[in-house]
Amino acid sequence: MRTRTWAPYALIAPTLLLMAVFLVYPIASVGWFSLRQHTVTQPWKNGFIGFENFRRMLFDDPLFWQSLVFSAKWVFVEVGLQLVLGLILALIVNETFIGRAVARSLVFSPWAVSGVLTTGIWILLYNPSTGVFQQLAQWGIGDPGTSVLGDPATVFPATVVTELWRGVPFFAILLLADLQTIPNDLYEAASVDGAGRWRRFISVTLPHLRDAIVLSTLLRAVWEFNNVDLIYTLTGGGPANQTTTLPLYVARKAVDSHDFGYGSALTMAGFVILLFFSILYLRLSKFGSRA
Amino acid sequence: MTQTLTRPETIVPPPPAPPRRKKHRDPSRFFRLHLPLVLYLLFTLIPFYWMLVFALRPAGETALVPWPITFEHFDTVWNGIGFGLFFQNSLIIALGTLVTVTVFALMGGYALARFKFRGQRVFLLALLCTQFIPGAMMLIPLFVIFKSAGLLNSLTGLIIADTAFQLPLALILMSGFVRNVPVELEEAAMVDGCSRLRAFFAVTLPQLRPALVAVGSFAFIGAWNNFLFALMFASKQDKFTLPVGLSYALGEFNTDFGALAAGGVVAAVPVVLVFAVVQRFLVQGLSAGAVKG
Amino acid sequence: MRTLLVALALVLSACSAGQDGPTTITFWDNNGGPGRTPIYQELIKRFEAANPDIKVEYVGIPSSSVQQKYDTAIAGGSTPDVGGVTTSYLAHLVGQDALEPADDRVEGGPLKGKLLSGLLETVRQTAPDGKLYAVPASGNLDVIWYRSDRFAEARISEPSTWDDLVKAATQLTKPAENQYGFTIRGGAGSVFQLLSEAYSYSGIEKFYDGGKSTVSDPRNAELVRKVAELYKKATPEADVNNSYTQMVAQFTGGTVAMMHHNLGSTADVMKALGPERVSAMPLPKGPSGKRTVVPNPTDGFAVFKGSKNRDAAWKFVEFLTSAESNGYWNEKVGQIPANTDVRGAEWIQKNPAVKMALGVLEDPATVIVPAPVYLPEYSSITKTDTEPLYQKVLLGQMSAQEFLDQLAAKLTTAQQEWEKRK
Repeated sequence: MRTRTWAPYALIAPTLLLMAVFLVYPIASVGWFSLRQHTVTQPWKNGFIGFENFRRMLFDDPLFWQSLVFSAKWVFVEVGLQLVLGLILALIVNETFIGRAVARSLVFSPWAVSGVLTTGIWILLYNPSTGVFQQLAQWGIGDPGTSVLGDPATVFPATVVTELWRGVPFFAILLLADLQTIPNDLYEAASVDGAGRWRRFISVTLPHLRDAIVLSTLLRAVWEFNNVDLIYTLTGGGPANQTTTLPLYVARKAVDSHDFGYGSALTMAGFVILLFFSILYLRLSKFGSRA
Repeated sequence: MTQTLTRPETIVPPPPAPPRRKKHRDPSRFFRLHLPLVLYLLFTLIPFYWMLVFALRPAGETALVPWPITFEHFDTVWNGIGFGLFFQNSLIIALGTLVTVTVFALMGGYALARFKFRGQRVFLLALLCTQFIPGAMMLIPLFVIFKSAGLLNSLTGLIIADTAFQLPLALILMSGFVRNVPVELEEAAMVDGCSRLRAFFAVTLPQLRPALVAVGSFAFIGAWNNFLFALMFASKQDKFTLPVGLSYALGEFNTDFGALAAGGVVAAVPVVLVFAVVQRFLVQGLSAGAVKG
Repeated sequence: MRTLLVALALVLSACSAGQDGPTTITFWDNNGGPGRTPIYQELIKRFEAANPDIKVEYVGIPSSSVQQKYDTAIAGGSTPDVGGVTTSYLAHLVGQDALEPADDRVEGGPLKGKLLSGLLETVRQTAPDGKLYAVPASGNLDVIWYRSDRFAEARISEPSTWDDLVKAATQLTKPAENQYGFTIRGGAGSVFQLLSEAYSYSGIEKFYDGGKSTVSDPRNAELVRKVAELYKKATPEADVNNSYTQMVAQFTGGTVAMMHHNLGSTADVMKALGPERVSAMPLPKGPSGKRTVVPNPTDGFAVFKGSKNRDAAWKFVEFLTSAESNGYWNEKVGQIPANTDVRGAEWIQKNPAVKMALGVLEDPATVIVPAPVYLPEYSSITKTDTEPLYQKVLLGQMSAQEFLDQLAAKLTTAQQEWEKRK
């Protein structure tokens, strides 16, 4: 489309301005602090130390690597499952059936629940004395006192399920909205060509949703990577650091331990990883290149 | 999967004039539709039920179906914690954020989708970059900015903060939606003599209704639930919001689960209801052919 | 946008500048919520009635975020006039040079000689210069809450030693009925509690001996091992990730018969179970027979250096810690009043837990073993660094001695550094 050059810039101006005022300086300051020893409770030690924080992180801190590996696992599992379940859910509630409006608002509703509340609810639900497993045990299913958050074998799935509860609707809503923009005649044409339901899904629905899927998975991956609250309140990163993600580790270092310099360095590491991942992901998925 | 006799309306909503709606029973529909839906509904609703039970049950009891129910927890959160005012603040902030985010995202998203301009990729990456750093790490510099701009302790300040943080995500999503609206429609309208702006309002915007609902509700919910900014950029009791009120239930030595659950009901029910109303706009019967060229 | 912001700023500052009437001071409650907010509101009402020229603006901060709130406010230069603080993070605030010393105000005012010396000492210890940076308002004590009804039913008497407690815990455990004898705090705050358990058992009277931490003493390790052995045998499996929230929920929900927490949970425990089913006892003793107590953080009020109305601020602090207010407050929350004039109050006689706690603290045979909360790294060492290690001990991935050795090494280094700066 022919463009007059000023138009797009005028349109993104408010966004640029907000970003310039409220985001550039804070992000730059994190970068600056990552080069400093900065512990608010020990101000006499503060000062510029170059890349010492990064050296310590890369070579002296096994927990950094451990948390990074767990972050990757968390993001992969969480986003993968949210996408698949969200897509299925979107397809289901896109069908016509009695009570669809009610069903839709119900399955979407966890998305409306805040982080504080989600963890609050699931702590009650998982609680071995007042939770759902205690109830099941009373009905003879499972053992009393089952604690999914206390058992190293179940703590990961239990946390994943909690985040799924709130995260699946995100994908479902987005994909459902996108499903609406598929012109009906595409399906009709495919039907005329004798394509079955599955073929139509593969050859019409999925390609149409591609950009939406690429975008939402990327955004969600970034979001899940930085998701601290849920794991922090649910498991505190335990038992024995098993569920510590990188941002959770950042929070423990920078907020709880006041080691702001090192926390900033860890944050910068996360920043670089996400940046690299995003570029790679957009390249590989050839985002926006569709005719 | 090898079925050949399928009805198109099982995948997409029926076109305006429903064709061949045959009333034949399709057993696969149960496994394809009803069973997974019921299972998923259970997964969604059990936690809500648990919350409701804790909100209505006297502390210390364990009955699965509490009777008689009590409203003492609601009394605690509404009168003891002052949820009324928090509710009002949250609503103002969330609505304000909804409007600013949606408008700016629509503008920016349109620019990203419809124009090729210098710095486009950098802009997209910059948008993403803003999401790479947890809010907690930016708190102090943000606080300083807000203080010097006189935005502490004000709902306007919180709307601006929430907008700044929600906008990048909303804009990216919106650009994807705009891209999905065939540009030919708009061009056709322009050929008919519409200005670009008129073409946008007349042709593209109506098609974006589901997108506006999705992006708008994300912004609303993000602001409605923001805890960190609400607590850190306000130091006045009458400027706090629902998430701050909720975290009051988690004390230093004691957790009031009843109050947490009752507060949760108060915080969640309105949003769920609003969702119930707007979700129908997520569906739009418009197909490309419906627009007269 | 920028001009808009500036314009907005002008409007806002114009609004806040026009206060000619009474002086307004802000007060941050460090544990805001349904339990405490109404108590403060009542006290503020009384204060304002007595001092019509001062208005107090109450702000309740959720306790889980209070440190972050203070840190942000200090860095941004927007501190309150008066803030509730506890000694567990007082050192951080002092380290950031945010607080006004209270020594002169206390010595030269109505509070002189009225505050429990043990609590004053605890507060003073948190500052490197030994000054008093907060006026203590209430003390807390670690206690074992236990189900007196289950003990009576099983004909077990209140355990006075750790070995008795271990035995009782095992006896009261019936996994099939989802009943356990004890609950371990394995999650957030675990090491803090574990240390008070360890010292109550070992009878070691000092945290440091010749500059070296005594934490790794084999007698302490013995206790850690004993407690860890109870895990899953006499405690719920969930305990490894327990913060106090889950612990209290298990106790009030009837799953466990004994819980180590503190007086802070009085209201919850009493509300759920009632005085006929639950009692409090001090932490048991070890083989030495000595009563050694690691004090729980002390709650108090601090005036911030940034305050523009310090006189009014101090007046409010003095009011809050006066016998009448202090008594009212502690009666409501069930903690130990710092003001000695409250000691004879009737409500203390009616509150067995507080009476018991006062008895322990007043007993001349009790040895107080203060934890080095004055170390800037203390909370980072005992929380971030070692809480995950304790979970390893519980899960059988690390020995108790190895765990304490690591903890002691860190505490020793931090102490040496601190001595050097002092």
